[in-house]
Amino acid sequence: MVFLTGHSGAGKSTVLRLIMMLERASRGQVIVDGQNLSEAPDRLAPLVRQRTGMIFQDHKLLRDKTVADNVALPLVIAGLRYADIRKRVRAALDKVGLLDKEGAWPLTLSGGEQQRVGIARAIVAMPPLLLADEPTGNLDPNLSRELFALFEEVSEQGTTVLIASHDLDLIRKMRKRVLVLSSGRLADDIPALD
Amino acid sequence: MYSLSTVRRKNRAWLRRHSYSFFSSLGVLLQHKVGTPMTVLVLGIAMFLPLGLYVTLANLDGLNLHQDEWSAVTVYFASGTSEAEVRRVADELEKRMQPEKIVVISPVEGLVDFRDASGFGDSLDMLEENPLPWVMQVIPPPGSSEEIKASIDGLTTYLQSINSIEVTQFDYKWLQRLGRILELGEAAVSVLMLLFGLAVVVVVANTIRLDVASHADEIEILALVGAGNAFIRQPFLYTGLWYGLMGGVLAIILLYVTLFYLAGPLGLLLETYGTTFAMRGLGGSNILWLLLGGGLLGWSGAWISVQRYLRLLAVGGRLGRH
Repeated sequence: MVFLTGHSGAGKSTVLRLIMMLERASRGQVIVDGQNLSEAPDRLAPLVRQRTGMIFQDHKLLRDKTVADNVALPLVIAGLRYADIRKRVRAALDKVGLLDKEGAWPLTLSGGEQQRVGIARAIVAMPPLLLADEPTGNLDPNLSRELFALFEEVSEQGTTVLIASHDLDLIRKMRKRVLVLSSGRLADDIPALD
Repeated sequence: MYSLSTVRRKNRAWLRRHSYSFFSSLGVLLQHKVGTPMTVLVLGIAMFLPLGLYVTLANLDGLNLHQDEWSAVTVYFASGTSEAEVRRVADELEKRMQPEKIVVISPVEGLVDFRDASGFGDSLDMLEENPLPWVMQVIPPPGSSEEIKASIDGLTTYLQSINSIEVTQFDYKWLQRLGRILELGEAAVSVLMLLFGLAVVVVVANTIRLDVASHADEIEILALVGAGNAFIRQPFLYTGLWYGLMGGVLAIILLYVTLFYLAGPLGLLLETYGTTFAMRGLGGSNILWLLLGGGLLGWSGAWISVQRYLRLLAVGGRLGRH
C-alpha cells in the first residue's frame, strides 16, 4: 500500500490517470507490471482498466442500478456467467460490509456507504492493482479511518493499493510508504514505518 | 495462443453479452410508451413512401392492358375502294412486313358490329347506303417495345404511301408513353429510396444521439471500469436495429392497409377499361429484404451517433475528468 500526496495541482490524479490509460504521457514512461503503457495502443486501454480497480472521490455509481448491479459491472464486462457474478458480488459486498444493501439504490446510501460500494466494484474482479483518487474527500474522519483500514485489508490480500490523498494526518497514521509530488515531480519518497 | 477452453469461454461470454444487449435494448424501447412509437411512426412513414411507389409501379407493370391490341394499326380505306384493292394491299403487307395478324373488316361487317355495339339499330336502317369504309387491322410481330415501335414506324410509312388509304391510326404511342412514365417512376423510386433511406439513418442517428447524451454518465462509468468501445456500442446498435425493424414492419402494415383500401375503387376503375386486376403486395422475399434493409439502416444510424461520442472517450480525451 502506497500513498501519493502533494498540494492541489501537484499531479496526483494525473499519475493515476496515466496508470489507468486515461491520459498519455507527453514525456517519460509509465510502466505497470513490466508493461510500458506509454507505448501501448489505445485498444489496450479497456484491458488495462479491467486489470486495475479504480475508486473515485465522487464514487461514480450508476443511479438507476442497484448496489449489486453497480458492483457487478466489471464482471458483466468480462462476460462472466450470471451465477458467478452473483457469487462474487456478494463476496465483495460482504468484504465492505454492505451485503444487506445489495438491492438498495445508490442515492439511498450515505456518502461512506457509496464509497464502499465503489470499493466493492473496484475489488470484485480481484485486480492486481487498486487505485484510489482522494477516496476520503467527502467523508468525516471516522469514516476515512474505516476506509483506509479496508484498503489495508485489501492490500494484505496481495493487491497493490495506490492512494492519492492530501489527508496528511491520516497518511501519517497509516505509516505506509508515501510518495510526495510537487509540480509534477517526485519531491520525496518516504518509506513505510513498520 | 489461446487454449480451446479459453476460446470457448470467450465465445460464450460474447454470445451472452450480445443476447443480453439484443433483448434488453428491446425492453428499454418498449418502456418508452411515447418516444418509441413516435420515432417508429416517422421511420415507418419514411420507409412506406418509396415502398408504396415501388409496389404501385410493380402493379402497373403487371397490369394487363391488352398490349397486343394497343400496338395494332388501324387502316381506313377511302370510300369506294374495291375489295380487290383492299386484298391486294393486305397481301402486299403480308409479304413486306410479315405482321402477326391482318384482319380485314368489310363495310358490311363493320355495320353489323356497329349496330351491335351502338344500339342505333333502327336509326341505321334509315340509311340509304352503308357509309362505312373498308377497314384493316394490322398487328405487328411480337417483340420488345423498341422492335414494335420500329415495326409500326415502317408500317405507317409504307401505308401512307398508298393512295387508297385515307387514315392510318395507331394507339401504340399511348402505350409507349405509359412505358416511359413507368420508367420515370422506377427512377423516382430509386431516388426516393436513397433519400428516405438517408432519412431513416438520420432519424435513428438523431434519436440514438439523444439516447447517448442521456446515458453519458453511464457510458463514462462503463469505460472507466474497463468496457471497450464494442461493449458500449452494442446496446445502442441493437436499439438502432430494433428501430429499423419496427419501422420496416410499420411500413409493411401501412402498405397492406393502403392496398386493401385502394383495391375496391381501383378494381371498379379498371373494369371500365375492360380489365380485371388483383393488387399484388410485396411477396416474402421483398418483405425480408425490407426488414433487413430497415435493420441495417437503423444499425448504421446508431453506429454514426455512438462512434462520434466514443471518439471523445479515447485515451487523452475527457473521460473521467468530471
